[in-house]
Amino acid sequence: MARLIRTEKEVEGNFEEVWLVVEEDPLQQWPAGPLDVVGRPAVRKDARERVRGEARYTADIQLPGMLHAAVLRSPHAHARVRSIDLAPALALPGVHGAVGPGEAPGLEREAGYVGAPVAAVAAETFGQARAALASIRIEWEQLEAVLDPEQAVERVAVHGEAERYERGDFDRAVAEADVVVDGTYRTQVVLHNSMETHQSVCEWVGDRLDVHTSTQYVWGVRNEVARELGLSPDRVRVACEYMGGGFGSKNSAGEYTFVAAVLARATGRPVRCALTRREENVAAGNRNATIQRLTAAARSDGTIVALGGEYVNALGWGGWSASTEGPLKMLYACDNVRTVRHTAKINTPPMKAFRAPGFVEGTFGLECLIDRLAAALDIDPLELRRKNYASSNDGTPFSSKNLRQCYERAEKHWERRHDVRARSDARWKRGVGMASQIWYGGGGPPSYAWTRVGSDGRLAVVTAMQDIGTGTRTAMAQIAAEEFGIALDRVEVMLGDTSRGPFATLSAGSSTTPSMGPAVRAAAADAKRQVLEIAAQRYDLEERVLDIRGGRIESADGNLSVAVEEFLDLLGNVQILGKGARGPNPTGMSVLTFGVHVVEAAVDVETGEVDVERVAAIHDVGRIVNPLGAESQVEGGVIQGIGHTLSEARLMDAETGRILTTTLDAYRMPTIADVPEIVCEFVDEPDQHLTSLGSKGLGEPPIVPIAAAIANAIRDATGADVHELPISREEMLRALREARERERISGIR
Amino acid sequence: MKLLRPSSLDELDGGLPVHGGTEVVPLLRDGILHTETLVDVREIVPRGVRDGVVGAGTTLAELEVDPQIPDALREACRLAASPQLRNMGSLGGNLLQSTRCWYWRLKYPCRLHGGDRCHAADGEHREHAIFANDFCASAHPSDVAAALLALDARVHTSRRELGLAELYRVPDDADRRTTTLDPGELILEIELPPVEASVYLKAMDRKRWSFPQVGVAVARSSTGTRIALAGVAPIPWLLTGAEEVDAATPLPRTAWKVDVARALVGRALAQIA
Amino acid sequence: MPELRLTVNGGEHVLDAPVGASLAEVLREQLGLTGTKIACNEGHCGACTVQLDGVPVLSCITLAHAVEGAVTTIEGLREHPLIEAFIRADAVQCGFCTPGQVVSAAALVAAAPEPSAEQIRHAMAGNICRCGTYPKIEEAILHWRD
Repeated sequence: MARLIRTEKEVEGNFEEVWLVVEEDPLQQWPAGPLDVVGRPAVRKDARERVRGEARYTADIQLPGMLHAAVLRSPHAHARVRSIDLAPALALPGVHGAVGPGEAPGLEREAGYVGAPVAAVAAETFGQARAALASIRIEWEQLEAVLDPEQAVERVAVHGEAERYERGDFDRAVAEADVVVDGTYRTQVVLHNSMETHQSVCEWVGDRLDVHTSTQYVWGVRNEVARELGLSPDRVRVACEYMGGGFGSKNSAGEYTFVAAVLARATGRPVRCALTRREENVAAGNRNATIQRLTAAARSDGTIVALGGEYVNALGWGGWSASTEGPLKMLYACDNVRTVRHTAKINTPPMKAFRAPGFVEGTFGLECLIDRLAAALDIDPLELRRKNYASSNDGTPFSSKNLRQCYERAEKHWERRHDVRARSDARWKRGVGMASQIWYGGGGPPSYAWTRVGSDGRLAVVTAMQDIGTGTRTAMAQIAAEEFGIALDRVEVMLGDTSRGPFATLSAGSSTTPSMGPAVRAAAADAKRQVLEIAAQRYDLEERVLDIRGGRIESADGNLSVAVEEFLDLLGNVQILGKGARGPNPTGMSVLTFGVHVVEAAVDVETGEVDVERVAAIHDVGRIVNPLGAESQVEGGVIQGIGHTLSEARLMDAETGRILTTTLDAYRMPTIADVPEIVCEFVDEPDQHLTSLGSKGLGEPPIVPIAAAIANAIRDATGADVHELPISREEMLRALREARERERISGIR
Repeated sequence: MKLLRPSSLDELDGGLPVHGGTEVVPLLRDGILHTETLVDVREIVPRGVRDGVVGAGTTLAELEVDPQIPDALREACRLAASPQLRNMGSLGGNLLQSTRCWYWRLKYPCRLHGGDRCHAADGEHREHAIFANDFCASAHPSDVAAALLALDARVHTSRRELGLAELYRVPDDADRRTTTLDPGELILEIELPPVEASVYLKAMDRKRWSFPQVGVAVARSSTGTRIALAGVAPIPWLLTGAEEVDAATPLPRTAWKVDVARALVGRALAQIA
Repeated sequence: MPELRLTVNGGEHVLDAPVGASLAEVLREQLGLTGTKIACNEGHCGACTVQLDGVPVLSCITLAHAVEGAVTTIEGLREHPLIEAFIRADAVQCGFCTPGQVVSAAALVAAAPEPSAEQIRHAMAGNICRCGTYPKIEEAILHWRD
């Protein structure tokens, strides 16, 4: 039954209080461990079409008469359009339409960064559209640009008030502590670089709008487009069956969608608006840079008594300020915590969520500092982490937390450090480092799924969710197969289209499986209940003695055993329709994911080369639905994190604010040659308080601790403290020099 | 634009030569190169290796696995670019590639483009030159050129024969080019003198598919030992000796490259000793 | 527009295309072979990899008019055992780079039917996968004939 509740809703670590209608989730959790389908490795339902190049991505949509749009972008870091004349562009061959500032959502008169979208042209070919941009006559009024985040904070060029948090008495705790360490850590801007760039194809059919878009949230785009264009939402259809990567950058419609929609309306033709790779690396979002001034204080027995952090999130012109201080507030039991987070509004491209925004950056600083504290206390880093284990989230109980089990499983990897160090030579110094992980990932309501069973006994799950490459289509099929009692290959999941399913969550914040899984299970259970109701009548048995197992309807006494399809064959065109909804999250509890990484790294002390040799990634995300897909998620997160740690940096010209590393020779993501041995382990304990599934999300957790674990391995190997991401050779050699200097001074003493 | 495919040198008559296209095609699209006539020279540039002479049309992928090729050049090819680019790119084209300096690639009006400023020197230059960088701080990205410079290779063009070092020139106020090749002049063959031992070491920020942060080629022959560097100057850079690394003139953010160069030169010399 | 003759996956095509047209554009837009993806369009990522006479090249920076040999795209490799190997190993996440990975891998296993991990890492380094599917790709190629 529907129930109205007041609850806290969390997306990507952002909380808001909302009214929510929820349906109770009457199903009992399955027992822990592998079941018939759930908990067993499954190859992807959609692997074949993706591998064979048959899957149709937004980039592959070619509609008859389709025009191509190109976007005019600001050459200035901060400027206002004084006047603009689109007529010369419209006069060029092949050009069919043009829009300027204010004529499509996202095209604005004030440009806050180099690359801000200002106008757009649609033409027969992309080349014609792009060429036409040059003929647009535009007069700019240049405004003052602020590019340095610390200068921005000083001058109060900020997004909102500084975010302050305090518990206990931080100053007093620091003053009374036996050991205090502090340090400044910096993280760079990194770029999502989804292989498929941000793009949409829009086509008007009468007064209905079809939007094909590369998105993590088909339903969100539907609502946003409807709102911005003044349409009834059901006149907007948004489709994205296959999408080529998002990592948080494709959670909303984006100006490219509006440009395509508005130009399609103006020209009466379908319009594609696709970012080039270079535009992607300017205007499609980024993980913002941070500056973190951190303090940790402890008693000599290793009890952490105070943690403090002053953070600057160098946000750029737009985006939102993620909780960089989150790990420092939540990871350890500590009575005295003080944080302040400034959000610099600088004239650089806007931030967008990127795989655990804030926590990736904050964990780097915190977990490096914790290792320095361990060294200062002369306590084993693993021991220090265990000693300060948080058993509640500042008083709020965890719905489940198995970080202690993660630490236990980490021991065998951690114990390798003596052997690893012993493999050092004059050139390569080897060491082992660890870092813990905390992040959200509990998902939440609302989310819905429908199921349909026909006379062939196969089950279709229909929902307007999306599989952004994480394998959620397969996980949902597994859940439905398990609940309904049939084989995985008898389940289809139809998703990625707002016109053929109910509302489903966005695929961000590690929320798809924990949000959608229970809804899909409920919908499968609803269909099964109806099948059994009919079977009870057909065979004149009580419904409660019937069940579907292994694709057969069976009675408890074993007298009845009939294949589902054989029984349902009598239905003809009758369909059994089930529906399911995501129930509420547990009230008064913190739903979080946990983990630990143990990294073995080698440092060439003469050239500053860092080689990550082995990563053990142990995660606690509740029940694992598909161990094979889960392993792929962890490996992917670790590898992306290695890129963030060692080779990726978006560089900007400090004079003009122009991004310099827009091409993939200059912005260097890991290749297959950069991958270390990766060992994945899961605690795989269902969260007893979280839904009928007990699963949390896994998309983000594996990228959270990797940078700090690498930095701590470097420290173990060389004694050098790196302070900055990426750990370039320049930073590595600086840290090595500093360590040698420290050694020299302490030698003199 | 038209595409010509001459079958002999005699048919060459202006236009922009293109071989593998890995550099020319992107630069044409970016409007850094311009032409009305593209000349596919694959039929006139020799390909293959014979008696110490390498056809300039030989791909890097072919050289990478050819046992006749000295170690330094083979390793430079093996560690250059990506597999697909090595399959496409020719030896001659590789020698003529342009800098990866982002300011130059983004068409800033820098000195190399005929302007009056080096934007990298004043701006973001962490991957730039540590030698000969006072006019233009760009770094030459060819691993192969450094290897050939150490190997003391000779270049046969459609018009003359010259030492590899003479193929390059440091750009200056009067002439912004980095090579001495005349318009229409084609590199045809590279001649490799006998060598006793050679090695190429490369610092990258990923294990493959990176331009050299610092590349060091060392070759020992009967006439002595030659050391050449990639990624450290606007052109492939010959050192008179290991100690010359100390004479580097790094920019504030390229001092680290001097340390890397010093370490790699030491290692390379030790390896061929 | 000048006439263009192409042999693709065993079929002969006579087309018109401007001199500047890339092979990738022609394959995708004129022949409808959209399995070849364009991700960077400047030769840096490998998503557009096709084989020319069995050799992996970047179709986004290959001029269609300069193509001399036979072109093989992912559509011509749909029955290759690597397809099943990639599926089995879960060597696909978002899948946008995957056709290019398969095309590169097919050339590798043709030249080295039992490639070592080291050979795989060397031959596949030009195919960027942002999802980080690499360990599974390596596994798929190691066991491509299983």
